[in-house]
Amino acid sequence: MFKDLDPLLHSQLRLAVMSLLISTEEADFVFIREKTASTAGNLSVQIEKLHEAGYISVKKSFKGKMPRTTCRISPAGISAFEKYVEALSEYLQPK
Amino acid sequence: MENSLNEKESLDLISQMINTAKNNLQKGTAKIILLWGYLVAGISLATWVLLETLPFETRYHAFYLWFLMVAGYPFHFMLVKKIEREKLVRTYIEGLMNRVWIGFTISILMVVFGMLIDSLIVNTFAEAVKPGHEFIRWFHWLLLVPFMLCLYGFALFVSGKAYEFKPLTYGGIFCFAACFVLLFSLHKTGVYGIQQFTLFISAVVGFVIPGHLLNRKEKNDVQGS
Repeated sequence: MFKDLDPLLHSQLRLAVMSLLISTEEADFVFIREKTASTAGNLSVQIEKLHEAGYISVKKSFKGKMPRTTCRISPAGISAFEKYVEALSEYLQPK
Repeated sequence: MENSLNEKESLDLISQMINTAKNNLQKGTAKIILLWGYLVAGISLATWVLLETLPFETRYHAFYLWFLMVAGYPFHFMLVKKIEREKLVRTYIEGLMNRVWIGFTISILMVVFGMLIDSLIVNTFAEAVKPGHEFIRWFHWLLLVPFMLCLYGFALFVSGKAYEFKPLTYGGIFCFAACFVLLFSLHKTGVYGIQQFTLFISAVVGFVIPGHLLNRKEKNDVQGS
């Protein structure tokens, strides 16, 4: 029996964001936008969805006079990501 | 980037994103390596020249040049502050490497201060030193440069492996080799000069050359500005 893939993570941009955050302690919005080649508007929406689900924490601050958004994966996010990868492996290597 | 994915594409995306971030070096890291590299190389070269040229009785004054190392700290903290202000991402490797270099600095300072205190104590009780055994006042200083090179080797080797940047790894191996060679030359005439010159070469190979190569690499693929 295959496990269901978490619908929140099974989306290209949200999965890309979570993959970046799982390999970093924290990452700036600009860094994520550059690495995922996404638009600021779309990325903001997806980050908000991940934040609402408790998968990431979002910190707003200032860099000089410029607003800055920093994202960090939460323990719940790490757990969800691990389950997602585990489910993926089962799809690719069915017993 | 909001398309649905099949399972294979999902795994490929995860792998691609993780690889993107894992070896990230902050822009400016090379400048810190160059700062300390040039400082150690300059001081050790100047010390070597003075050791070779000053009269025998006063040549130990050459070692006072090492107090100039303190001058590196304000510039170091300025560079760190600039990196912190401009950084866009902090990786786990980077956090770990920061701690390795902090440990490296504490180790060096502990040994230098320990030797200084020991020398002061020995000199204070100089009368207690038996005639013919005066060497114990200064003998331990002979081990300082090999010890420093061993620590340089350790920190450079670990950094090179962590960031997958071979010039740092090779620099670390060179420092290990230099340490090993110096430990076999403790009894040689002019050992202090040999040590300072070896330190100069090691600083160039371990810090200056990798620092410049890293500076070039940063311009191509490092995040942070």
